[in-house]
Amino acid sequence: MTTKLMGQAVQRVEDQRFLRGQGRYVDDVALGTATLHAAVLRSPHAHARIVDIDVSEVLDVEGVHAVWTYDDLEGPMAEPLPLLIPHPALTHGRTQYALANGEVNYVGEAVAFVVADDRYVAEDAVDRIRVDYELLPPVVGIPAARAAERLVHDDVPGNVGARLEQNVGDARAAIAAAPHRLALDLTVERSACQPMEGRGTVARWDPDLNRLQAWTSTQTSTGVRAAIAVKLGLDLGQVDVITPDVGGGFGVKINHPWPEELLVPLAAKTLGRTVKFTEDRREHFISTAHERGQEQHIEVGFDDDGRLLGLDVEFWHDHGAYTPYGLIVPIITSTQLLGPYKPRSYRVVFESLYTNTVMVTPYRGAGRPQGCYAMERTMDAIASYLGKDRAEVRAANFIQPDEFPYDHGLVFQDGRELEYDSGDYPASLEKLKTLVGWDEFPQFRAEMAAQGRRVGIGLACYVEGTGVGPYEGAHVHIETSGKVKVATGLTTQGQGHATVFAQLVADELGVRFEDVEVVTGDTRRMPYAVGTFASRAAVMSGSAIHLAAKRAKEKVLKIAADALEVDEKDLQIADGVVSVKGAPPDSVGASIDLGTVSVLSNPLRYAFDEASKAATQFQVGDPGKPPVAEDDEPGLEGRDFYSPERATFASGMHAVIVETDPETAEISILKYAVVHDCGNLINPMIVEGQIHGGVAQGVGGALYERMAYDESGQLLNASFMDFLMPYVTEVPDGIDIDHVETPSPLNPLGIKGAGEAGVIPSAAVFAAAIEDAEGIPITAMPISPSDLFALRRSVGQARDQSDAKERP
Amino acid sequence: MKISGANVVDQPVEKVWEAILDPRVLVATIPGCERLEETGDHQYAMTVNAGVAAIRGTYNGSCSLSDLRERESLVMTLQGSGAPGTVDATVQVRFTEPAPGRTEIAYDADAVVGGMVGGVGQRMLSSVSKRMAGEFFANVGHAISAPPGSASATQAVVASSSDAGAQVFTAPARPGGISSRDDFVKGIAVGAGLVVLGVVIGGIFGRRR
Repeated sequence: MTTKLMGQAVQRVEDQRFLRGQGRYVDDVALGTATLHAAVLRSPHAHARIVDIDVSEVLDVEGVHAVWTYDDLEGPMAEPLPLLIPHPALTHGRTQYALANGEVNYVGEAVAFVVADDRYVAEDAVDRIRVDYELLPPVVGIPAARAAERLVHDDVPGNVGARLEQNVGDARAAIAAAPHRLALDLTVERSACQPMEGRGTVARWDPDLNRLQAWTSTQTSTGVRAAIAVKLGLDLGQVDVITPDVGGGFGVKINHPWPEELLVPLAAKTLGRTVKFTEDRREHFISTAHERGQEQHIEVGFDDDGRLLGLDVEFWHDHGAYTPYGLIVPIITSTQLLGPYKPRSYRVVFESLYTNTVMVTPYRGAGRPQGCYAMERTMDAIASYLGKDRAEVRAANFIQPDEFPYDHGLVFQDGRELEYDSGDYPASLEKLKTLVGWDEFPQFRAEMAAQGRRVGIGLACYVEGTGVGPYEGAHVHIETSGKVKVATGLTTQGQGHATVFAQLVADELGVRFEDVEVVTGDTRRMPYAVGTFASRAAVMSGSAIHLAAKRAKEKVLKIAADALEVDEKDLQIADGVVSVKGAPPDSVGASIDLGTVSVLSNPLRYAFDEASKAATQFQVGDPGKPPVAEDDEPGLEGRDFYSPERATFASGMHAVIVETDPETAEISILKYAVVHDCGNLINPMIVEGQIHGGVAQGVGGALYERMAYDESGQLLNASFMDFLMPYVTEVPDGIDIDHVETPSPLNPLGIKGAGEAGVIPSAAVFAAAIEDAEGIPITAMPISPSDLFALRRSVGQARDQSDAKERP
Repeated sequence: MKISGANVVDQPVEKVWEAILDPRVLVATIPGCERLEETGDHQYAMTVNAGVAAIRGTYNGSCSLSDLRERESLVMTLQGSGAPGTVDATVQVRFTEPAPGRTEIAYDADAVVGGMVGGVGQRMLSSVSKRMAGEFFANVGHAISAPPGSASATQAVVASSSDAGAQVFTAPARPGGISSRDDFVKGIAVGAGLVVLGVVIGGIFGRRR
């Protein structure tokens, strides 16, 4: 019997390719000299009217094939880009045009598009375009957006794109009546995904087939396909979109279509040539998307044990210049903020605000890091106020294991109820305390203090809705060689899908892991799919693949039972061989290879080879009936879709011990501990890899990364010289991980998503630990050593002044 | 972006004032300035070749001097755009005479530097622009004090008329660049600094190597 692969730390099949430089990304497609290259003229101004664009100096440049501005676009291409996820509260949603139509609203907005023999010529041509701008005053930052003295869009009063309020009970009354009350004001700055590979699109028009093929670095090839078809006026069936290897997405590539994802296919079709666009790093900074920027005001009422009685949260979300991805990020913040706790009564209201900056779409965690930060800072404040242990206050508020499913009475990002399916938060907390040495920390602190060193500890808990619908599908095909080809439509940006999905198929079909090949993100192989975001690939496609493999297996058993003249129930499949249970291994007529079953499944008329020759002569089924039964089809395939009622809720808790330098305010990480619950694990090594990556990204978000906009809307740190990402030297040297497994009842494998988890509690947990080390409230993240240094000074001065006042 | 600073020139204020209002001096002393066209009273269109680090190219722009209070102050308004980015600046300039025969020029610039220079080169701008300011004023001082008959910078300036009849001043070739002696500045090939007059022009538009 084959060992079950679910739960095994199977080596990633992708890594040999990736580590040997054999990954194949969009820029590796169409390398021939016949390929044309595109470059984009981008706005240097944050807010301006376009008075005139003069392209006359470009037209006669040798090697230039096309120069387009908005005026050259027609039909649907001249309409604004889609607002992908409308919401009734998004009363003033706005999206940009593929090329700016008379106005630009952020530095980096696409203004003109050039196609030339190579990227050098294309960029030189872009340099020759003269644009006459009439500058308008820019709105930069949440305070300016709220003040609304200037407007981003003339027809959006107050710069407010949306206002959404949700209530459970009467939180304000509960707070007013509570024995204790606190208020907090918090801020989180912007950051961005920064995948190693930026955006990229290649398109080719095939006049012989009358169809378009596009390769794009996206998190949804089916979404891009539909967008291209609609915008170019093509039938869906005329467009194929293929997503090859993707060098990281982290959320930013779920937004679509980007202007270039439409302009490149349009150029390919218009010029009859293959056209490529590869984004450079600076373009990625100023013309894709950012996230995280919020200001929050929290009021909370609680009892003597720190139990929440009422929670009232207001926050202001900076969504940048446009809202193509709707309200997903602030809705997630407003709902996922609750984490593992029972607020008893809850009011949350947010305003989603326009600013003249790069737009905001989900970045790994997608609003949860901000929500977790709000809730966990509140928990810390309650503990501090009551003089209680921070873990104890949290435990007093946990939803208990016997309370699942737990309905919060709110509406989640997918429009469904915010109902947690399973979890065990007290068990997670106990594990975390052991892992990080929570109870031993006071002693450690004293030891360090004796050496003149300053340390602090923090913890943060989160719950994460993963595996949101609506569906994913899968196709499993057992070839006559016995090899299994699997296709699912969502895309892969490094998660190891080819490994974990093959594990699931190998388990279900009883085939060797090496014989399973998985294809993702190719609309020719699976035209129905949603995309890779919201930690949904394993849950959605994993479940769909499991179901599709089941379908294929049913057919295998039916045919094999017929061929072997036994009952299906007496058959087993192992290592690609169907055999009669209990029969001696080499007994004649007691087993049949899957490849042979596949041959039998297709009653061919022609004999191409020995296997098909056998099939033309071999009779399965009833000779008196059609070779392919009415309810059957030829071939050994299984296809199925998985569509859950609602999201499944993963959870976790992080703790960190930091040391702060008393002189320089340098912040170093001494210990980082993670307890994680994503239900049943398919591959613990891959889950831990996701956690490591998430923690690394979280360290960046908490301690290093910010988007330095000046007051005129210029992004001053639009390069890796100035935008600090953590290197391996800044990431904790060793992350202690433990798992709790509370299977999800919502899918056949009992799994939950794991992709985003590692990044969610970072801002909260570092703020807590630094506050613990310093004894200074930390209310703005990220925090750099310089920030901490300045904070020490200002707090010191304030204390000196108040000491002076109190002195008689 | 706000930048302030002051530089002293070893020339009396009246000479500095005259020099700074003289397009021949400007075109010869502004680093990277290739062409200056008078479009009105104290208003010029110009072409400057400049770069910060790897970001270089030709800027076309305009410069005007207003609120002239003789030998005391003026306001310079600058606009420029080119492949590397855009500059919009307003500079308050004040002239004082700290000692006889010496002039201090103080400036407060408020500039918006956009495009590629804004995002990638900005952190270098303020330090670099102050350095460039000193050089520009040294050039001005040198231009004023060049002995009669010598091949001074201003005399090498080619004056001609444009189609519209406006005066056009073209800078002479400058092998090695004005500050070839300054290896550091030359090395980083700064440009888009900030500043006054020269400093503004020199700093913002920088030098051509």
